[in-house]
Amino acid sequence: MPAERADFATLVFASVRELCEEAVSAALAAGASYVDARVVLRRAQTVATRNGRVDRLDDIESEGIGVRALVDGAWGFACDRRLGKDGAQAAAAKACAFAKAAPGGHRRALAPLEPGQGEYRTPVERDPFEIPLADKVAHCLRAEEGMAHDDVKVTSAFVRAQREKRVFVSSDGAATDQELVECGGGIDALASHRGITQIRSHPSAHGGSSSQAGWEYVESLAFEREAPRVGEQAAALLRADPCPSMVTTIVVDAEQMELQTHESVGHPTELDRVYGTEAAYAGTSFLKPGDLGSLRYGSEHMNVTADPTTPGGLGTFAFDDEGVPAERFPVVAEGVLRGFLTSRETAARIGSGAGGSMRADGWSRMPLVRMTNLHLEPGEGSLEELIAGVDEGLFLQTNKSWSIDDKRLNFQFGTQAAWEIVDGELGRLLRDATYTGQTPVFWGSLDAVAGPDEWRLHGLTNCGKGQPGQHAHVSHGTSPARFRNVQVGFKS
Amino acid sequence: MSKALELAERALRAAEGDEALALANSERSGLARFAGSEVHQPTLIENDVVELQIVRDGRVGVAVANRTDDEGLKALAARAAEAADSAPADPDFPGLAPKAEPPAVEGYDEETAALSPEDQARLAAAAIEASSLDLYGFFTSALTELALASTTGLAVSQAMTDACVFALAAVDDASGHAEQTSWRVGEIDPAEAGRAADAKAERTRGAIELEPGSYRAVLEPYAFAELLLYFAYDAFGALGLLEERSYAAGRIGEKIFDERFSLADDGLDQRGLPKAFDFEGSPKTRVELVENGVLRDVVWDRATGKRAGRETTGHGPPSSLRRWGPLPFNLSVAPGEAETTEELAELVGDGIYISRLHYLSIVNPRDGVITGMTRDGTFRIRGGRVADPLVNLRFTVSMPELLAELPGLTREPVLVNEASYYDERYPNGALVPAAATAKFDVTGTGSTPGI
Repeated sequence: MPAERADFATLVFASVRELCEEAVSAALAAGASYVDARVVLRRAQTVATRNGRVDRLDDIESEGIGVRALVDGAWGFACDRRLGKDGAQAAAAKACAFAKAAPGGHRRALAPLEPGQGEYRTPVERDPFEIPLADKVAHCLRAEEGMAHDDVKVTSAFVRAQREKRVFVSSDGAATDQELVECGGGIDALASHRGITQIRSHPSAHGGSSSQAGWEYVESLAFEREAPRVGEQAAALLRADPCPSMVTTIVVDAEQMELQTHESVGHPTELDRVYGTEAAYAGTSFLKPGDLGSLRYGSEHMNVTADPTTPGGLGTFAFDDEGVPAERFPVVAEGVLRGFLTSRETAARIGSGAGGSMRADGWSRMPLVRMTNLHLEPGEGSLEELIAGVDEGLFLQTNKSWSIDDKRLNFQFGTQAAWEIVDGELGRLLRDATYTGQTPVFWGSLDAVAGPDEWRLHGLTNCGKGQPGQHAHVSHGTSPARFRNVQVGFKS
Repeated sequence: MSKALELAERALRAAEGDEALALANSERSGLARFAGSEVHQPTLIENDVVELQIVRDGRVGVAVANRTDDEGLKALAARAAEAADSAPADPDFPGLAPKAEPPAVEGYDEETAALSPEDQARLAAAAIEASSLDLYGFFTSALTELALASTTGLAVSQAMTDACVFALAAVDDASGHAEQTSWRVGEIDPAEAGRAADAKAERTRGAIELEPGSYRAVLEPYAFAELLLYFAYDAFGALGLLEERSYAAGRIGEKIFDERFSLADDGLDQRGLPKAFDFEGSPKTRVELVENGVLRDVVWDRATGKRAGRETTGHGPPSSLRRWGPLPFNLSVAPGEAETTEELAELVGDGIYISRLHYLSIVNPRDGVITGMTRDGTFRIRGGRVADPLVNLRFTVSMPELLAELPGLTREPVLVNEASYYDERYPNGALVPAAATAKFDVTGTGSTPGI
């Protein structure tokens, strides 16, 4: 029975759900004690321009079914691109066969769950796929024109859109149907002069920013308005002094706080890393299961929340890829570790919660514990007030480089721009700033987070994890924050 | 005709009436991932993906799909045509690659292609059983077919196999790593990898701190390869050169590195993971990037070649990576004279020994500055011998400075896997020996070895 279909817009949910049920039945018949099946149809569109030319204009569709089976305590996962009975049955059979062949003791259990059933659609004002491609090209080219400057050698702009239908059925009785729509973009200006190269980006580096929203989100990024500033600052950085090494106070902008939170709070609190199952690739964590509720992660100003219900978040859903309903919960409260990101398996192992952070990249990858939306909760006051509280220090803006060790302790970040702070006011522009620290020491030096008016939601699409590799789309809400006694550059 | 080429030609026919290029990628892979000596995430993938590039009056659009029935290919062609119609004409578009006969390369092995999921699980088990410590990692193998067909008469295909065992032996206070990669599974010994990782891990117990500073160092091939890869993606591609943002800009022809250092990109070398053609269908060629310390050239694709009045060297990237320009996917470092890494430690005298790196990031591309961490086997070298284990080290190195004085390299290069298996499978790796350097800048310390 081929799935009844026409295209993404008219996909018949009941028919696809039957395919999932077919796969679940086939895996149970093959000896599985638990099985879930997930059909994903994804359409992704990218328009990118570079120096006034179209660099990339593509429209990508991918579809298939992934089946995960637990047989005698061992997992197996297999997938098939064919959305028909043959594909569903083949994926189920192969998943069970791989599970049966898997070496090891295997005593895996899943946290109990009230099966999730329901539907979810991203609320969208303007469907990004309804915007003509030619208009998207024009949008990018206008932004490029605005970044023009004698010293700017490369201007680039891009916009993206994605629609994903996810239909999920499990042998525990979960049955969900979700349609998630994303769009976003970014602009960059790269300046070069006499052997120095500098870059400025908006709204974020390394792929701009995206949101679960319609085209209205791209318009809110205001490429044309920001483009002249981006170009001028890239050029100004060529003549800026290098940032000196020192121990000082830093005020970090909301965009860089996004990555700081992602790398030094999000990943270490993924419970699969804590248990070592990512050891060979992404790494583990400095946290231990017994740290929950007692470990001091940072100062009392540090409050971090996982929230897959955040409007506009790239990690927003009604149900995760185990059928667990979305739920907001604290990860760090007043500086103390209060929660881990979990799957049903890791939740059972730690004896707390029911999972809710399992996500898979498309149909051909096994779900992993991933960040959903992870936010640094706002404090009080404005960015100006944070800066006003600094006698000598730096204001750091927009990520340029990032690296952190396999336990998420030692990190080093570079930013595109830095400004001196002298007597509470911004001074000269500096280039090539980096700062480094040890995660709990650094967060312990947090002495202020700006208030709700400064809080911004950033969405990144390049979070890598797993073998074979998977990309996750994750959002972080952050405000600018101030840290004392931070090593900038290198210890002399 | 291969399955992938048949698919590419069907997609081309669906684009009837247009100038077009179709690329098909067919993957059948299995990855038995293990942690704590149990296979915990075994993944089987079968997929056929076809990408169709349509050109209308210099306007280029691309569509991709994995629905390969006639209706799916018709829809694919319609989307690619819509994309092309939406783009302004590109005066720099170099046109589609002409018909060409790709070089004959190896890279396909029947035994590897025939591995079943049970075989993949068995080979993972062989690694696990050989380690007394808990083992983390994977065994994977795949058959990948890449094919291109175009209205210019291009019709090329290549079947590739690859196999890799990755072993990380680890407990709370110790960890060691080993890996083996080949397109022939018969050349891979998972048990040996498990034993080697276990032995390395046992030597890392009791790791001590190290003061930041500049050290002489021995880099195992895995560490050296990763540094070179990050450097090369920025420094040895033609787009960065033309845009004056890469290290190579303004330096071609200069003697910059140690004369012992020669670097090529060579997709034809059968010791690596051979490639016959690039993602534009152009034949692969060997490119001398550095000869005896002199920066000679970068790699080129059709677009950058047209801008510079050069021929492509066969390094066109997949469309998803086009913003990076042509990329060196098959780095190859000329070997040296040392028989072992112990000989390199003797050349270093006093310094550090680095097995593997983690989470590299480019701090300053124009100057070739890279940061990252060491992991799973970092040691002090004292009196020419590998001595105390060290905690993981933060490094921030200038690659030109690191390569400026290389007291020695080992005689036998190792094939280092460079694929992380994101998206569609495309096996790639680097042939790299171990190296000794006179300058490796440690800028901080991190966690201890272990999980």
